[in-house]
Amino acid sequence: MRIGVFVCQCGTNIAATVSTERVASAAMALRDVVHAESIQYTCSDPGQRTVIAAAHKYALDRVVIAACSPRMHETTFQRTMAQAGINPFMMEMVNIREHCSWIHSDMEVATEKAIDLVSMGVAKVRGQTPLFSSHVPVVSEVLIIGGGVAGIQAALDIADAGMPVTLVERGPTIGGNMARLDKTFPTLDCSSCILTPRMVEVKHHENIRLMVNSEVEQVRGYIGNFEVDIRKKATCVDEEKCTGCQICEQKCPSEAPDEFNAGVGETKAISIAFPQAVPLVASLRKEYCRLYIKGKCGICKKVCPADAVDYEQEDELHTEKFGAIVVATGYELFDWRQAYPHYGGGLYPDVITSIQYERMLSASGPTGGHIQRPSDGAEPKEIVFLSCVGSRDESIGRPLCCKVGCMYIAKQAILTREHIPDSRTYVFYMDVRAGGKGYDEFYRRAQKEAGAVYLRGRVGKIYPRGGKLVVMGADTLVGENVEVEADLVVLATGIDAAAGAGSLAQRLNIPYDQYGFLSESHPKLRPVETTTGGIFLAGACQGPKDIPETVAQASAAAAKVIVLLSHDELETSPMIAEVNHMRCIGCFKCREVCPYHAIEEQGLRDGRRVAVVIESLCQGCGLCTVACPPSVISLRGYTDNQLIEEVTAVLR
Amino acid sequence: MSGGDIKLVGFLCNWCSYAGADMAGTSRMAQPAEMRIVRLPCTGRVNPLLVLKAFQEGADGVLVSGCHPGDCHYNEGNYYAHRRLELLSRMMAVYGIEPERFRYTWISASEGARWAETVTGFTETIRPLGRLNLAGGGARDDDHHQGPAAGSASPAEKR
Amino acid sequence: MNGIVDTIKNVLKETDLVLGWTTDPVTGVATPARFHDEKEAEQAVFDSTCAHNLAVHLPRLKDSRVGIVAKGCDARSVIELIIEHEVQREQLAVIGVGCGSLLDVKKIWRRYGYGVAIKDRDDSLLIGGEQVNRDEFIQRKCHGCLEADPDIYDVIAGEVTGEIPTDTVRPHPLHDMFVSLTPAERRSFWREQFSRCIRCYACREVCPMCFCRDVCIMQTQIPRWAGGAVDAKQSEMIQLIRVNHLAGRCTGCGECERACPVGIPLMLLLDEQNHAIEEMFAYGAGASLKARPPLLVFDVNKDIWGKG
Repeated sequence: MRIGVFVCQCGTNIAATVSTERVASAAMALRDVVHAESIQYTCSDPGQRTVIAAAHKYALDRVVIAACSPRMHETTFQRTMAQAGINPFMMEMVNIREHCSWIHSDMEVATEKAIDLVSMGVAKVRGQTPLFSSHVPVVSEVLIIGGGVAGIQAALDIADAGMPVTLVERGPTIGGNMARLDKTFPTLDCSSCILTPRMVEVKHHENIRLMVNSEVEQVRGYIGNFEVDIRKKATCVDEEKCTGCQICEQKCPSEAPDEFNAGVGETKAISIAFPQAVPLVASLRKEYCRLYIKGKCGICKKVCPADAVDYEQEDELHTEKFGAIVVATGYELFDWRQAYPHYGGGLYPDVITSIQYERMLSASGPTGGHIQRPSDGAEPKEIVFLSCVGSRDESIGRPLCCKVGCMYIAKQAILTREHIPDSRTYVFYMDVRAGGKGYDEFYRRAQKEAGAVYLRGRVGKIYPRGGKLVVMGADTLVGENVEVEADLVVLATGIDAAAGAGSLAQRLNIPYDQYGFLSESHPKLRPVETTTGGIFLAGACQGPKDIPETVAQASAAAAKVIVLLSHDELETSPMIAEVNHMRCIGCFKCREVCPYHAIEEQGLRDGRRVAVVIESLCQGCGLCTVACPPSVISLRGYTDNQLIEEVTAVLR
Repeated sequence: MSGGDIKLVGFLCNWCSYAGADMAGTSRMAQPAEMRIVRLPCTGRVNPLLVLKAFQEGADGVLVSGCHPGDCHYNEGNYYAHRRLELLSRMMAVYGIEPERFRYTWISASEGARWAETVTGFTETIRPLGRLNLAGGGARDDDHHQGPAAGSASPAEKR
Repeated sequence: MNGIVDTIKNVLKETDLVLGWTTDPVTGVATPARFHDEKEAEQAVFDSTCAHNLAVHLPRLKDSRVGIVAKGCDARSVIELIIEHEVQREQLAVIGVGCGSLLDVKKIWRRYGYGVAIKDRDDSLLIGGEQVNRDEFIQRKCHGCLEADPDIYDVIAGEVTGEIPTDTVRPHPLHDMFVSLTPAERRSFWREQFSRCIRCYACREVCPMCFCRDVCIMQTQIPRWAGGAVDAKQSEMIQLIRVNHLAGRCTGCGECERACPVGIPLMLLLDEQNHAIEEMFAYGAGASLKARPPLLVFDVNKDIWGKG
């Protein structure tokens, strides 16, 4: 056995707290180690070449790389092994960065620990044998969760590549948040003029199956072979029959809150979210419907000319197979009311959110494009915008930047001047973040052309006085308190992950942060991948984004999916269970615990019945190895003896 | 072994807890240095014998951590593990091992802070208990010696 | 109602052999025997010295139709073996016998000399003609007796014993002492106990549930759970292996402890584990043919022990 140990400095990431030289010289004393050295950046090209050269020079047959987490670079170094002519699985990674240098500050302590970890890795790799991959077929269909602009973009890209796509949207229409916007920054092109053609394209694409009012309930399986339960919720309207004539909506006597319009105006219990909805199909919300509340009505069923209303409709549960999943669940706006009692906490009708303002700006919105004060319907003249409501505010525990607030305030200020030429707008801001292409120019346009007055400071209090709202803030640039009497106050609220994103992440087994934003596999190099193979991220579900970024990420995710599914077969991990059938006693306890039904009974020529692992089904969890009384099932790469040696190495 | 006299071993599933420990590292969350982590695919791979073997070979505390119930990468692995580990934890006192020395927990990939807290809490629980010395009675198994080779032979000599 | 000889003769009409007891000509106490025909069956006996659990032979007789004489405790092993598919019910004829607790012959011999005459009749125990307190000489394993009569049988020989009054169930003789020890004291206790172990594997050989036989991991190198040395550490490890392997499977027959030549109180470990299993899963191994071994299943809703 000839083991080489390579201790990465990771620049100063490791070397600042671990003496990699000492670790390397300690490794030299370990059994079967014939070479050890410290490398500045092992994962870099020169670093990998150093490993390959050493492998040749010292005729290494096993390698230990003490560096970052194997979850980061295991595959990188497996490839290095292949280039060095060593079986990729004869390499063991030891995590001396995330589990050592980054969490300890005492050099002595961290170095000793790193030496321990290396001795564990050496002990483990000593028991390693060469492993070889096999191949499994891949399902070519793709699941996209979320029908906002990210999901739409990803769906169209993948479908255009010829792969079948199922787009699942939990609401009654696709379009997402972008469909609610009037204009987009910095070009001021009309949001729905850009989006609606794409929505229609989804509807008519031969490779896309659209499932609205549907949610992902359970996800089983693994990359290339996911099995997903999708619940299509009953809406009391037959999607096939409904023509979108909206007669039901006109006749419906039950009023309901208008979520699409962010509560500006009301809609009916049976309705179509907006005129460009795709699919253009009504849906009924039972919680507002008189029939379900009082037990008497049924008007919509009577008036429907297509006989599409069906009160008996039940949820449908679909179980489908997919090769890859794109999560594009988007964002929702932070509910500011609890956190900001000093802005009225929602009690003053003329303190509204920017999305409510946006709906008023929209020509197809509830006010027909007229800006009105909610309290009296009058046209406001003095309008104050507050940035960073629920963003960058440590006092309420929300340090994150919403990334789009500065730009949409500028947009709304410009649009306000267009709608009400004699209006005056004030913007209270923290910093103006206008880093995109054409963004800074756009923000200056709001000041110069639209005459928006920018005041740097957070607003301390808003209170009503004589039919107006007094906005009390500070202009920190001048160092003075400022008081503005406003007709209308617009809050640029922060961004959260969509409700339920966390629980969806749990079902998909992917990590997420405290705001529910889903975590990418690597912030720089794997921005659309997740830590679970075959599951990708697109858009604001991963973090606040504007439209161009969202669309770019969606196309990136689509490209990753297309690459994945461009092969008919997927190379599987050889780190699966294996039965030593000569020693198997045929008790089949392994078969009872296997979650994948990957154990079958086989007769040997001597008449004994033994257990055999079906390689294409085994996922390598190792449950069977523990259930096996004589321990004759070994999990390749994690055999009992390897683990025993790994543990005893450090306790010795 | 650094960071005091005690030796702690953690058996972590690759998909949740190991990733959680990575996240604690990425977030630079300071932790006591006694813990040595062994990566496994799943808590379902944790043979109770492996835990007992660790104690026998000199561990003073063993922590097993996996995905939350319902989140197992292999769907069911941690449910079986839950039964095995709970039984093991109830048997610790019978074997003569303070029950506090063995702990199992569920920590997800996003719970870096929780991992750091768990390691800290676990280490602080074991420190006052001191060494277990379960191995004290018997001599070390002869054919088990695979430790450092004598001296520090140069690569040339070894070749 | 038939005696043991007639019952065995009857069962032999349907089976290849019957596992039972005969009288050892030297000591006069019962010893296990296999009966293949009526003539051999004439020698069959059943008395309070029939301590052995004959179910241990069943996994090795898979290809034969086997009759077995089983006491209440032995029958639990038979049931557990059927649950684990080691024995096929159709291949088996169980001759149930009632048992009113067994004698610890070795203890009697130690006190009164090897081969001393033992007469055990209706509450009076005569040893070498001297009347003694019977309670003093019953098998340790009978202290925790759960079932005097078998739960599984095809035919009953002799009379059944009936329900055991629960107040007669006593814990292991060392239980009270053991539970009063601190963990550290227990470590010393076990180290002292296992320092006597000679690794004869008698505990394994007499255990009906230890059916791995030649591939038992107490002795393998792949994997090397226990080293080969004969010392307290390795002996402790092999018992930890046994205890773990018997989790949810040990029927508490007590044979391991009875067979141990150096008197290690192995049932202290197994009783505690059986108790924990009972508490966690309301499960007792060998209690019901319909049961599923608790470590081969899980229950998302009931498995809530509040950890994690």
